[in-house]
Amino acid sequence: MRVSRHLVIGFVGTSALLLLLALSSAWAQSAPTASNDEGASADFALPAVTGQVRLLGNDFHPSTRGPLAAANALQPGIATQTTASASVEIELRTSGKGWNITGTLQQQALPGGSHPNRAWFNEAAVTRDVAGWSLSAGKKIVAWDVAYGFRPNDVVQQETRRLLVSTLAEGRPVIMAEHFDADTAWSLVFANAGRARSELGVREPAFAARVYQRQGSADWHGFVRYGAHTGASVGGSLAWVATDALEVHASARYVSRADSKAFDTRSPLIAAVSPWQTSTVHRATQAIVGGTWTHESQLSLMMEAWWDGTALSPRQWDAWRARNVALNALPRNAVPAAAVAGNLAWQSEAFSAASNLHRSNIYLRASWEHEGWTPSVDLLYHPADGGRMITAALLWKGDRVQVQGGVRVNAGPAASVLRQLPTQRQTFLVGTWAF
Amino acid sequence: MKFISSLVIATLAACALGVQAQDVAAILKASDKFRMSADNLQVETQINIVNADGTPDKERKYKVFAQQNRQSLVIMQSPSEKGQKVLMSGDDFWLVMPDSQRPLRITPMQKLLGDASTGDVSTLSWAEDYTGKLVGEEACDTRAGARPQTCLHLTLTAARKGVTYQRIELWVGKARYEPHRADLYVLSEKLAKQASFVFDKPDAPTTVVEMVLTDKVSNNKTTHIKYVSRKERQIPKEWLNPQFLVRGGTFE
Repeated sequence: MRVSRHLVIGFVGTSALLLLLALSSAWAQSAPTASNDEGASADFALPAVTGQVRLLGNDFHPSTRGPLAAANALQPGIATQTTASASVEIELRTSGKGWNITGTLQQQALPGGSHPNRAWFNEAAVTRDVAGWSLSAGKKIVAWDVAYGFRPNDVVQQETRRLLVSTLAEGRPVIMAEHFDADTAWSLVFANAGRARSELGVREPAFAARVYQRQGSADWHGFVRYGAHTGASVGGSLAWVATDALEVHASARYVSRADSKAFDTRSPLIAAVSPWQTSTVHRATQAIVGGTWTHESQLSLMMEAWWDGTALSPRQWDAWRARNVALNALPRNAVPAAAVAGNLAWQSEAFSAASNLHRSNIYLRASWEHEGWTPSVDLLYHPADGGRMITAALLWKGDRVQVQGGVRVNAGPAASVLRQLPTQRQTFLVGTWAF
Repeated sequence: MKFISSLVIATLAACALGVQAQDVAAILKASDKFRMSADNLQVETQINIVNADGTPDKERKYKVFAQQNRQSLVIMQSPSEKGQKVLMSGDDFWLVMPDSQRPLRITPMQKLLGDASTGDVSTLSWAEDYTGKLVGEEACDTRAGARPQTCLHLTLTAARKGVTYQRIELWVGKARYEPHRADLYVLSEKLAKQASFVFDKPDAPTTVVEMVLTDKVSNNKTTHIKYVSRKERQIPKEWLNPQFLVRGGTFE
């Protein structure tokens, strides 16, 4: 019954998205545009709807370490882990003067024969110019900040970073006003209007503002955000082209409060509810500094180091490890295995306490573009416990087709947090055809 | 006496060199007019990349807003690049990728990435970026069977940072200064590409309709940059603000 309802919802969502895109397409084709003016060739009459089809396959190799693996060993199946997945996605885009729509249709294939489908708008927004200001409303991707591995001042979109496969993000509901001149831009954004004040993370209603100033070879940004329950934060960032080959960037943010998760210290070792509860981090700093160097042989090297004061501290991770050990050491004949397994499974909630696992992070990336091929390798290193996340990928770009495959492996000391994650190794293959 | 005659000779030589430098600047300006017919242009460009064996590799379509003061905005139109934009403002460059919706500062070296670098597509003039000197008179086309025609051979050296090529050896027609061919060298003095130009009227050229680039570094692929249409157009100044490029909607 539940499956049927999901299918119906998926079908209705998909149909609605297709209908909207078809209507937009018809409108775009009927509306006169400047491209029909003198001088523009008929060869450049673009298709009203463009997009891409993506085929994506993932294989997940579960870790034999960590609280989730221990929970499953005690009580098989208590925490299900996806071992493989495949999906087909169709991304459709259309736009006209003052509006744009991008949507995605997705059909997944999961182990056990389930095929959930989903449709969503990545963006659907209208923009009008009024008295020198550009006013927008709808669902929009408002991506701010300058770095790669971590963007502390990406305060509206709050995009997940370092994904294996880069796809278009899902925008946020916003009302925004922007003013541009040649070197300066002002942006005022009200995100998640109408949502409850208690909503967490990216769903929290918030006002945000940004000022941008171009100054020669440097881009300066200033940011403020006021969240409904997290209050004020302020930040700034810089991207600077230092030489013909070197770009340097830095970003910093001070937050008065941030959503997190923390262990309830009053909780007994065997708890009846998860001891990991929503919490607030007070007065924290986030900062990143990095740079990219590119050689004329098309070799690029990137290095970044960042601090995330909202992430769990080494002391909190030590307490987390101690609790894992204590739970595993409980005498099997004294405590029901299901209770121990449940408490071990709850320990994995610590992984989603913040956007970074650790406060200190170092990131290195090397890539080389040659004849349509781009091999790349990157490393995320946690100095606190020596954990390493290594990703190697190979991308091939043809005219309309591109294929990318790779593997991500967690390495380092057995006690490092990265080695405790539910997935030890992930391999992926994605093919994209653009139309 | 000897000192005075030396001084006179030196002064005359300096004057001659000055006149020559002025002449070269005028030649470059005249040569630029064959591609950049007005200060502010909208140029629809089609690029066909052909493999060394003659088979087609890629096709790309760009809308280029080439504006005065060395500013240009390139909007990628082909399905596989739809949503990409490159902004060049003087020596500064930004890239917008459709997945990120965020203008990214790029270095001049990153501008070289790709088969037809965006620098090749967006740069339609040399006079503002290069200083030149006259090398001499040489055949316009040295290939066997080519029409015998004498060209002026100029050596151009980058006058500012951020240009795609550090040195250009350029051959232009003696009468109209139309560009015939060019050898393009990157910072390391490596010959990166060789360019040749196709005109609307070969006997009395008024405009370049196609630039053909042969990659000399890696793959010997040939890139045909066809200027499908040009029209005079000055775009609003905010279009040249990198943050404007992710506003949404079309650039019409």
